[in-house]
Amino acid sequence: MINMNESILINLALVILFLPVIGFIVALFLAKKVKKIFLFENFVIILAFICSVALLYLKLTYFQSKDIVSEFQWIDFGNVPLFGKLSVELGILLDNISVIMLFAVALISMLVHLFSIEYMSGDKRYNRYFAYLGIFTFSMNGIVLTHNFLMMYIFWELVGLSSYLLIGFWYEKKSASDAAKKAFIVNRIGDIGMFSGILMLFTTYHTFTSDKIFYQISQGALPFNSEFWLTVTGLLLFCGAIGKSAQFPLHVWLPDAMEGPTPVSALIHAATMVAAGVFFITRIFTMLTGDALFVIAVIGALSAFIPATIALTQNDIKKVLAYSTISQLGYMILALGVGAYTFAFFHLITHAFFKACLFLGSGSVIHNMHHEQDITKMGGLRKKMPVTYTTFLISSLAISGVPLTSGFLSKDGILAGTYAFGYATGHWLFAAAGFFVAMLTAFYMFRLIILTFHGQPKDQHKFEHAHESKFVMAMPLVVLAVLSIFIFYTPNPFNPEQGWFLSKWIKAPQISVPENARYSFMKPDAAQKTEPDVNKSETAKQEIVYSETYTEALHHAHIPAMLLSLLMAASGILLSFLFYQWKKFDPDKLAERVKPLYKLSYNKWYFDEIYDAVFVAGTVGLSKSLAWFDNTIIDGIVNFTADFTRIFSKLSGKFDNIVVDGLVNFMAYLSGFIGLIFRKFQTGKVQTYVVLVIFSLVILLFLFKTF
Amino acid sequence: MTNSLYLVKPEIVVTIVLVCIITFNLIFKDKPQALPWLSVIGLMITSYFVVEQFSYNSFAFASTDYKGLLVTDPFGAFFKILIVLSSVIVILFSISNKELDSAADRLGEYYSLIFGMILGMFFMVSAADLILIYLSVELLSLSSYVLAGFTKNTLRNSEASLKYVIYGGVSSGIMLFGISIVYGLTGTTNLYEINSLIQAPQINQITLLFAGILIFTGIGFKISVAPFHFWTPDVYEGAPVTITAYLSVASKAAGFALLIRFIKVTFIKSINAEGYWQVINVIDWKSFFILISIITMTLGNFAALWQNNMKRLLAYSSIAHAGYIMLGLVVMSNEGILAIIIYFTVYAIMNLGAFFIVMLIANKIGSEELDDYKGLGYSTPVLGISLAIFLISLTGLPPTAGFIAKLYLFIALVDAKMIGVAIIALLNTVVSLYYYIRVLKNMYLDKPGKEIPKFSASIPNLVLLIALVAPIIFFGIYFSPVVNLAKSSLTLFGF
Repeated sequence: MINMNESILINLALVILFLPVIGFIVALFLAKKVKKIFLFENFVIILAFICSVALLYLKLTYFQSKDIVSEFQWIDFGNVPLFGKLSVELGILLDNISVIMLFAVALISMLVHLFSIEYMSGDKRYNRYFAYLGIFTFSMNGIVLTHNFLMMYIFWELVGLSSYLLIGFWYEKKSASDAAKKAFIVNRIGDIGMFSGILMLFTTYHTFTSDKIFYQISQGALPFNSEFWLTVTGLLLFCGAIGKSAQFPLHVWLPDAMEGPTPVSALIHAATMVAAGVFFITRIFTMLTGDALFVIAVIGALSAFIPATIALTQNDIKKVLAYSTISQLGYMILALGVGAYTFAFFHLITHAFFKACLFLGSGSVIHNMHHEQDITKMGGLRKKMPVTYTTFLISSLAISGVPLTSGFLSKDGILAGTYAFGYATGHWLFAAAGFFVAMLTAFYMFRLIILTFHGQPKDQHKFEHAHESKFVMAMPLVVLAVLSIFIFYTPNPFNPEQGWFLSKWIKAPQISVPENARYSFMKPDAAQKTEPDVNKSETAKQEIVYSETYTEALHHAHIPAMLLSLLMAASGILLSFLFYQWKKFDPDKLAERVKPLYKLSYNKWYFDEIYDAVFVAGTVGLSKSLAWFDNTIIDGIVNFTADFTRIFSKLSGKFDNIVVDGLVNFMAYLSGFIGLIFRKFQTGKVQTYVVLVIFSLVILLFLFKTF
Repeated sequence: MTNSLYLVKPEIVVTIVLVCIITFNLIFKDKPQALPWLSVIGLMITSYFVVEQFSYNSFAFASTDYKGLLVTDPFGAFFKILIVLSSVIVILFSISNKELDSAADRLGEYYSLIFGMILGMFFMVSAADLILIYLSVELLSLSSYVLAGFTKNTLRNSEASLKYVIYGGVSSGIMLFGISIVYGLTGTTNLYEINSLIQAPQINQITLLFAGILIFTGIGFKISVAPFHFWTPDVYEGAPVTITAYLSVASKAAGFALLIRFIKVTFIKSINAEGYWQVINVIDWKSFFILISIITMTLGNFAALWQNNMKRLLAYSSIAHAGYIMLGLVVMSNEGILAIIIYFTVYAIMNLGAFFIVMLIANKIGSEELDDYKGLGYSTPVLGISLAIFLISLTGLPPTAGFIAKLYLFIALVDAKMIGVAIIALLNTVVSLYYYIRVLKNMYLDKPGKEIPKFSASIPNLVLLIALVAPIIFFGIYFSPVVNLAKSSLTLFGF
C-alpha cells in the first residue's frame, strides 16, 4: 500500500484550484500576441481534470470517512477593543461532497473547453473567450473547496463577475449586454441577503470558518440568543442561493442569459454556477432550522412548478432547456427543504451531466443549423445528426426519469423524500407538486425532441446544409450521455441506496440546531437517544439521526413513489407523442381552448412585465414624483423665500466673500504657506543649516530642561 | 576575547569582501562589469551568517566585568538582513545607472565604498558602547560623503558632497561632545553600565539631559529628522540616484536601529506587564519624540507639496516617513518596535522601487523634473503602473503593503491611548496623498508638450522591478509573514 498522507490531497486540490487562473492570466495577456494561446488554456484545464480524477480516487479510497482541512491564519489582530478576538482564517475543506463536485466541475469544464474549440472557431475574441472560461472555472473551484464563508463570498462574487463576462461575451448585441447586466443585477439582490447573513454569523461567532460556527451552534450559541434569528440568518444566506440558482422569484435572469454562447450555457447555466446555490445550501444544511427548511421547500416547489409550465410552450430550444434547468434546480432545493439531503446532492451531480449534455447537444444543433434556435423551424434532424440525436435522447430520458438512467435514480429519490415528508408532517402538497412537475418535464422534453429531430424538416434550405458535428464537438456529448446511465452510481437500477454513491460516499450531516427548532422527524426518538459523547471533537462529523417513524415512512415511500413517478414519466412522454409525433390531437386547438393559460405560460407568467411595472417603473415613478415634489413644492417654497432672502443675500454675500471664501482659501493657502515657510529654511547655504541646528538644539534644551 | 569571533562573522565577511573588491579591481582593471556580481555574491555569503545570528543573544568582546563592545541579537540580525537586502538591490540598480558611466574607471572605489558603508551600518545596529557608536557612525558617514559626490561631473554633485561633509562634521562633533559629557558623568562608555549608573540620584540631571540631546543630534542627522534634516534634500538631489536610494533606506534603518538600542538600553528602567517601558526619570523622551516626530512628518509632507524634482520630492517624503517611523518609538513599548520593524520592511521595498523607476526614467529621458513626466503613463505603461503602485503604497492606501505598515503604527498608537498623535499622523497622510497623486496626475492626465516615443526597461531590470512590485501587492493582501518575521526580531539583548 502506498504511504498516503493528507498533504498530497491538499496540494492536489490547490493545483486544481490555481491551474485555471494561470491559464486565465496567460491567455488574457497573450491573447493578441499569440494566436494559439487558447491551446495553453485547454492544456491547463485537461491537467486540472486529471488531477481532480486523482484527487477523487485518493479521497474515496484512503480517506472515505475523513474530512481533510487545511487552513492558515490570514489576518490576526489579536484582541480588538469593543469586538473581541479578531482573526480570519482561510483554508480548504476536502470532504466527499467537495471532491465529487470538483470532479464534476473539472470534467464538464474540460468538455466545454473542447467543445468550444470548434463551436467558437472564427470568433474575433477567440482567445479571450477561453481566458474567461479559465477564470470562471477558478472561481467555481474556489466555491467548492473553501471551508469558510468569507472565501465563499469572494468566490461567489467572482463567479458572478465571470458569468457576467461570458453572458455578455458578444456585447455588440444589445440583447446580450442587457442579459449580462440583468444577470449581474438580479444576482446582486440575492447576494445582499447572503452578505448580511454572513455578517450576522461573523458578529455572533467572530469567525468565518463554517465548522467552528456549526460547532458553536451545536453547543447552543445562537445569534441574539434566539432560534428566530438563527432562522433569519439561514434564510438570509439562502437568498444568495435564490439568486445564483435562479430560484423563484429571482429566476428571471437565467432564460435571458441564454444570449451567451451555448457552451457557456452548458457550463455555467446547467452544471456549475447555478449548482453553486444548491451546493451552498448543502454546506449550510446543518445550521438550518425547521422553519427555514420549510421556506426553502416552498421556494423550491414553486421554482420547480412555474418554470415547468413555462417550458411547455416555448419555441426557442435554449429557452426550453433554461426553464427546465430552473425547474430541476427547484427539485434540488425542494429536496433539501424536505430534508432529503443526499438525494438533493445526488440529483445535483446527475443533473449536471445530463443537462450539460442537453445544452451541448442544442449547441451542436444550433451550430450546424447556422444559428437557428427556433424548434418550429427544425425537424427531421435525426438522420442528419445521429450522434447528437442519440445522446440528446439518452439525456432526455434521464431528465424525464426513465429507468436505467441516472436521472431516474435521483429524481425518484427526491420524490420519495417528498412523499415521506408528507407522511411525516402531513404536508402532501410538496409531493403532489413534485409528481406533477415530473409529468410536465417528460412532456416538454419530448416535445423538444420530436419537433427538433423527428418529423419532416420545415426549413429545407437549412436542413440540407446540416451535418453531424466534428469529433471535438461529438466526443463531449458521448461522454456526458454515457455518464447519464445508472451503472456509474449503483449496480441496482431500481434502488440507488444500494449503490456506492449513496451508501458510502454521501451522508447527510448531523443537524446542529437546537432540537426543538428542527423538523420533528429529525430528532432522535427516545429509544435512540444515547449518552452524549464526551470525547466528541470539534471537527468530527456525525451522521444525521432521523426518527424511526420517518425512516419507516421513507422505506414505505420507496415503492409507491417509484411506481407513481414511472407512471408520470410514461404519461408525459405518451402525451407528447400523441400531440406532436402521431398528431392525434392538435396542440394549436388545445391552446385555443385554454387561451388564458396558454398565454400565461407563453409569456412566462408575465414575470418580466410585472418586474418592469413594479420595480423598474416603480423606481422611475418614485424618482419622477420626487422630481415633481422638488419642482413644485420645494421650488415654490424656494421662490417664495427667494425675494425675502434677496435682501439678506446681499449681506451674506459680503460675508461669504470675505469670511467663508476667505476661510476656505486661507486653509488652502495656509498649507502651501506652511510648505513655503519650511522651504525658506532650505536656503542651500550650509552655514545657515549649521546655525539652525545649533539654534534648535538650544530651543530643545530649554523645552525639556524642567525634568 | 577570541572566542567571541563567531559572533561577528558577518562583519568579518564584509571586510574580506571589501578587500577582495579592491584587489580584484587592481588586478583586473579592465573588467569593472564583474564588480557588482562579486559584491552580490559577497552579500549572499554575508546574509547566510546574518541569518545565523537570529539564534544568538549575547555580548561580543566582553571585558572583565562582562559588558561588551557590541551585542548580537535577533533585533540586530533583522536590521542587518534589511541592510544586506537593500545593498543587493542598490548594487543591482547601479549596474544600469547611467550617471555612473562618467566614472566608469573608478567603479572599484564605488563598490568598495558601499561595503565600507555596510560595515559601518553593521556595527551601528549592534553597538553597545558609545565609542563604537561614534566610530561606526563616522565609518558610515565618511564612505557616504565620498559616494554622494562620486560622479563629480556636475556642479550639484560636488556641492552635495561638500555640504554633506560640513554638515556631517558638525553633527558628529556635537555627538562626540555629548559622549564626552556622559563619560565625564559616569566614567564609562558602555550603555548597560551607564544605565545602572544614571539611576543613582546624585547624577546632575541638566547635564545628562544636555548630553542626551547632543548625542541624539548625531543620530538625528543620520535618520534625517527635523530639525537635523537640512542636508537631506540638497544631498539627495545632488547624489547619484542609487546612492540617494541607499541613503534613504539602509542608512536610515541603521540609524533607527542605533537610536532604538541607545534609548532602550540606556534610559529604560524596566518593562511593565503591558509591555510599556518605564523610563528613568531624567529626560522626558516620550514628549521629546512626540515633538520631533510631529515636526518631522509635518515639515516633510508640507515641504514636499512644492517640489518639482522627483528626487527632491522623494527626499522630503523620506523625511516624512522618518517622522512616521519615529511614532513607533513614541509609544515606548514592544508593540511600537514591532510596528517600526514592519514599517521598515515595507518602506525599504517601496522606497527603493520608487527610486528605481525614477532612475530608469532618467536614464531614458535624462530628466527628473515632474514636468517631464507628463504623458509618461502612456509611453511607458509598465514603469508608469509600477510607479503608481509604489506611490500608492508610500501614501499608505490598501491593498498595498504600505497600508499594513501604517495600520500597525496607528494600532500601536491607539493602544497606547495617544489618539491625538494618531490623528495628526493621519492628517499628515492626507497631505502626502496630494503630492504623491500629483505625480500620477502628471503621468496620466496631463498632455505632454512633445511626443514621447514608447519605451520600456530591459529584461533584467523588468525582472528586478517585478521582484519589487510583487511583495508590495502580496504583503498588502497576506501580511502574516511580515508580522511573524517582525515578532521574531523583537528580542533585544538585555530584555
